Amino acid sequence: MDRQQRMGLLLASPSFIYSIIFFVVPTVLLFIYSFFRSKAFIPIPDFVFDNYIRALSSKGFWIVAWLSLKIGLITAVLSVAASFPVAMYIAYRSKGNLLLYLVLASWLTSYLVRIYGWRMILGSNGLINSTLMQLGLIDQPLEFILYNPVSVVIALVHIFMPFTLLLLLSALRDVKSEYLEAARDLGAGPVAILLKVIVPMIHRGLVSAFMFTLILASGDYIAPQLLGGTNSMTVGLLISNQFRATGNWPFGAAMAFIAFAIFALIYVVLIALLRAGRLAPHRRFH
Amino acid sequence: MAVRRIWTHEEIKAAADGNFELLSTLNRRHLLQGGAAIAGALALGPFIPGTARADIGGEVSLFTWEGFDMEPELKEWREKNGVTAKNSTMTTQDDVQGKLVGGSPVALDLTEYNQAYNKFYAEELGIIEPIDVSKVPNYNANDIFAGFYQGERWYWNNTQWGIPFTWGLNSLVYNPAMMERPTSYADLLKPELKGKITIIDDNTGTWPTAAIMGGVPGKYPNVTKEELATLWEGMKPYRDQCKSFAASNGDVISMLVSGDIAACLNVWSGIPFETAKQNVKTDYVIPKEGAVMWCDAWFTPKTAKNRDTALAYINETLAAAPQASLANRAVTGVVTKGAVPLLDEATRALFDYNDLDSVFKSAPMLGIPPRESTEFATYDEWVRAYEDFKTGI
Repeated sequence: MDRQQRMGLLLASPSFIYSIIFFVVPTVLLFIYSFFRSKAFIPIPDFVFDNYIRALSSKGFWIVAWLSLKIGLITAVLSVAASFPVAMYIAYRSKGNLLLYLVLASWLTSYLVRIYGWRMILGSNGLINSTLMQLGLIDQPLEFILYNPVSVVIALVHIFMPFTLLLLLSALRDVKSEYLEAARDLGAGPVAILLKVIVPMIHRGLVSAFMFTLILASGDYIAPQLLGGTNSMTVGLLISNQFRATGNWPFGAAMAFIAFAIFALIYVVLIALLRAGRLAPHRRFH
Repeated sequence: MAVRRIWTHEEIKAAADGNFELLSTLNRRHLLQGGAAIAGALALGPFIPGTARADIGGEVSLFTWEGFDMEPELKEWREKNGVTAKNSTMTTQDDVQGKLVGGSPVALDLTEYNQAYNKFYAEELGIIEPIDVSKVPNYNANDIFAGFYQGERWYWNNTQWGIPFTWGLNSLVYNPAMMERPTSYADLLKPELKGKITIIDDNTGTWPTAAIMGGVPGKYPNVTKEELATLWEGMKPYRDQCKSFAASNGDVISMLVSGDIAACLNVWSGIPFETAKQNVKTDYVIPKEGAVMWCDAWFTPKTAKNRDTALAYINETLAAAPQASLANRAVTGVVTKGAVPLLDEATRALFDYNDLDSVFKSAPMLGIPPRESTEFATYDEWVRAYEDFKTGI
């Protein structure tokens, strides 16, 4: 190991150790817990699959898991799709970072404030309904725009778009404009440049942005509770109930790992699809 | 024969401090009659348990329902004793055990339990530190209503586990501008109210209310598995009327103020007070089927670091003036007899303080489903059934 490698290791070690202590160790413990039995907040050491069987055989779990996943998938697709052109514009057209700062400005307000903000915009007497009624376009408030999964997705896209934008922009910074010009010189049109140059080169950033949003949006249980109406149950809430209300941590842990397995499966499928479409080469271009 | 009333700790302390203005608000009649007592109090005040301030002061961390930390009521006392309150808000009773159970419990000095959680917290989870009542002199048989003094929910095995400080009925709040005054829960099933009601997502109140509404009244918390299925089946029409399941009282207030809902089931009686602050009139009604009684008690968790200050804090919340103030703004009941005359007319009329036994008989304080049972549906089964209900299964 040369001096440069040693220095790299030294610089990486704090975050590496932090991750080991506060992520890997708790995750392993949680995994072990998922095979325990439980009695009202007391985990009983054992090695049983009862918790997994109970979760997987529960109709309610699958319904809620699908609802959570649906919200996560739609949010992830929309967030990535909406931030991609903005990232392209900032990376190749914009001379400054003003647009980036404007998008990131939403971080200056807290998560809950933004959720309640959407409620004020979409509510019965909110901005949209009031405006439409004052313009005489409707005589009764539109009830379908709030308290349903659509409003949850709208709010979550607003919350996660800055993250996806940063991840995509970071990936696009490595795709030098000379590459795009070279592709154009060789006769590639906009679609070919996008699919044969840009996407393959940023596919890691693309997948990161997608998975990051998918996992966080699927696990979120605040926005669905406040905006989702009667369709407010999410896997996050089911897991939370086991840790807070019933004290059945092993069962909560088992549900968490089933959710983890589903996300891992989606990741594998996504990568396979990108590779099948020749959008995700095995090697790095840069 | 006229019974001579014993001076409360609060009155003695006010007299000892020469705070006659406060004393007069506490008991104007006794001030006029009790010159000798004041003289005695001046001499004895510092020796009364709980008045010593050597151990009182610093930061006390509270974890309470929204608006129930009694911080405004105790502002003067806190400033006088150098106490700062670090407050956080719970949204369900389960938040409390969530903080206090596990490998790294949170160091809370003072929090509260719904009467149903008494033995679960004290015996099963072991998160309650018994209370040294000598440090809470306002909690005494003379000043506290009998129903709240050493009752089975707060006192057993010769040990005081909690100190009740507020109580009331969880019931129905509605907006009279959006619907007629309901007299029965069934009134919420009117077609014009579809998408205009909400159910608050709180186990302690929603489950017993569901038992009433779903067709097994009088059986909660001990219902069989079949009855559990029946009652949630009976609740489905109400679910179909719902706009959402409200996450907290604050959420309900927000929805009522914005006009998104016309009514909320099983909710805190102080909601109309809060919506009025935002110029929206709402009313509180008890439907003919009945409502759910609750009583919250202070307790000091085993993790408490500033226990003496926490106990002094409890003591102050039991004084007449703070009790009345909380009840007036939260539309709840008081536990201190001396607070009743200080209540506004509407709040005093909520309950018959001359016959609280009848009040408790008509709306008893209920427990929670058993954690383990072969005969009745367990707490875990209730959670699952409630999750399924919310999911729409």
